[in-house]
Amino acid sequence: MKMKWKVFLLMVVAVFALVACGEKKEEGSGEKSTEAPKVDGKTEVVFWHAMSGQLEEVVNKLVSDFNASQDKIAVKAVFQGTYEEAITKFNTVAGTKDAPTIMQTFEVGTKYMIDTGKIEPVQKFIDAEKYDTSKWEKNITNYYAVDGVQYSMPFNSSTPILMYNKDAFKKAGLDPENPPKTYEELKVAAKALTTGDQKGFSILNYGWFIEELIAAQGGLFVNEENGRKGDATEAVFNGKEGQNVFNLISDMYKDGTFYNTGQNWDDMRAAFQSGKIAMYLDSSAGVRGIAEQAPFEVGAGYLPVPEGTDWQGVIIGGASLWMANGIAEEQQQAAWEFMKYLTSAEVQAQWHVNTGYFAINTDAYNQDIVKTEWEKYPQLKVTVDQLGATKPSTATQGALISVFPEARQKVVNAMESLYQGANPEEALNQAVKDTNQALDMANRKK
Amino acid sequence: MIAGKAQGQLKIKARRSMPSFVEGLLYLLPSILLFSVFLFYPMLKTIYLSFFLTDAQGNAELFVGLEHYSNLLQSTAFRTSMKATLLFVLYTVPAGIILALFLALLANQKLKGIGFFRTIFSSTMGMSVAASSVIWLFMYNPAIGLGNMMMKTFGMSEMQWLLSPDTALISVAISTIWMNTGFSFMILLGGLHNIDSHLYESGKIAGVSDFYTLRKITLPLLSPTLLFIVTVSLINSFQTFGQIDILTKGGPMESTNVIVYSIYKDAFVNFNIGSASAQAVLLFAFILIVTILQFKWGEKRVHYQ
Repeated sequence: MKMKWKVFLLMVVAVFALVACGEKKEEGSGEKSTEAPKVDGKTEVVFWHAMSGQLEEVVNKLVSDFNASQDKIAVKAVFQGTYEEAITKFNTVAGTKDAPTIMQTFEVGTKYMIDTGKIEPVQKFIDAEKYDTSKWEKNITNYYAVDGVQYSMPFNSSTPILMYNKDAFKKAGLDPENPPKTYEELKVAAKALTTGDQKGFSILNYGWFIEELIAAQGGLFVNEENGRKGDATEAVFNGKEGQNVFNLISDMYKDGTFYNTGQNWDDMRAAFQSGKIAMYLDSSAGVRGIAEQAPFEVGAGYLPVPEGTDWQGVIIGGASLWMANGIAEEQQQAAWEFMKYLTSAEVQAQWHVNTGYFAINTDAYNQDIVKTEWEKYPQLKVTVDQLGATKPSTATQGALISVFPEARQKVVNAMESLYQGANPEEALNQAVKDTNQALDMANRKK
Repeated sequence: MIAGKAQGQLKIKARRSMPSFVEGLLYLLPSILLFSVFLFYPMLKTIYLSFFLTDAQGNAELFVGLEHYSNLLQSTAFRTSMKATLLFVLYTVPAGIILALFLALLANQKLKGIGFFRTIFSSTMGMSVAASSVIWLFMYNPAIGLGNMMMKTFGMSEMQWLLSPDTALISVAISTIWMNTGFSFMILLGGLHNIDSHLYESGKIAGVSDFYTLRKITLPLLSPTLLFIVTVSLINSFQTFGQIDILTKGGPMESTNVIVYSIYKDAFVNFNIGSASAQAVLLFAFILIVTILQFKWGEKRVHYQ
């Protein structure tokens, strides 16, 4: 027995020695590196992104074009997995010299990135250079501006849009050029479209769509002016606007005109393309692909609102580019040059037509390649018009909270419970209660 | 018994000469070092973090004592996760092993071309969880999937396999059984090969039935392999992650949100590392108890040759 104890003690000592080593390392990581890394005499800018598949090819093309356009800066694009995976990796290196110079983060990670304190607001460079931002689409840049400070550079922005099957509309005796604009019209259209295997309408079980439908009515998601005036302490999406959305889903599902497509974007799109659903909400970033591949004519319309409600517009989704702090000034300047290049009209026009994401520089829409593409895919123009028609307000600016991923899970749970016959009001209240708990935890850390 | 004897000897030796203790330790040093770095240190750190609220980087920020534990034990979400995990184990482990045993017994026959079947039965072992999950994802797709096509041809109504909280867990379990059968099959077949063929010959001479042979010869002699495969399957099943992530992401309504997935979500999506650590500690305790019980209970029934 004595023997066992000795071994045990030794192991404990070894472990504590290790723990101590670990702690020491953490203390040391705060130091700033002042030397900018160089590659063949060029300043290196490491750019982490989450664009996969065809999008990654477009990003790589943009980067190599930029690298070829000048001889002082070498940008290196590195794919880091999904937005969630990339942000987790960023976490482990943030504030050290291994951190990327530019980091792409999804819109709901905005508050989270600000709170890490490991980033440099791009406002600093806009001010230093008196850079003209008047060409930027206000409805996009607003999202990433907090208290008038532009924190990150919008990159790929998208909004939700109502997609519908024009052929099915004709068959059901509906006007294919006139998609439903109100919940009431939507219900009537869905009823007419529900025949045989085909259901009228669907919304993906994804919190984003609920946020958007609430914002379209001018409703807020959390208090403190959607978290823009201070740290939000309470979720308010169970107000009148949220109830409208949940009642709509619940009513239509009970009516048999709503189809549950789950949480998977591809499943939803497959259901639309195979004629299982005639109308659904999609991201503008998917519009081009759907219009290209669907075996029928595809229409696009604005987000609907309840009758008698003023249509307020949409919140942008997608991602933006963040600059790291704690790195050499020279490197930050190089990163800024790359960001400016990305927002030029020519590059943005290319980006828009190749991906379906918005151009954040409105001049891009005057470029010829955009005009020809819009003739081919008029649905793309609908998404741009919808964003242009959006009325800037705290509702359409979008909520700013650090626990967004968690809040979305709660909303999805509430949505899913509707298909099990839950009371919409109770489901929504439960989601709010759970979100409040998460907000509370986050605020206690401050 | 043997272990007790060895301990006694060690004691005597240790008392006689100290250097042998140092010598033994030197032999153990590589594994002690490796275990410390990759097992003991992370484990202690996890326990440590479970008492704190952490920032996004996982640094401890605010000591909250046992609050994470009390929150977990009170939350319905954690209870749902626990229930989902237990049900998942219940669905996958017995069915998977019985299926694998059945296939192994079939494939153990000396027939022409049996190698082909052995390859087929064990083929799922060569597939990654990600690849097989994607295949099943397509099969379960309610709009274009093979599952619903089959239901239709047999005149049954279509099912929302992964979208209904009632069927999602079973659907994931079915795909998991399919994925794990290959491995269990291989191990069990190996175990069957090891059984002395004389015993079967004697059985044949005595003229006993096939079922009697199975019950009195095959199963007892296969029991060490069975114990191994039950233990490994149990632990695997408790730690299932890949297929959940790809097929359901823990939904719908958290019906497939097994503990490991819930830990992942809390730690890497919601960045509540403290709460995730507390869940990990609870899961560890749970698996530990199950494994101890299993050895206590199983040891008596296992027959070593």
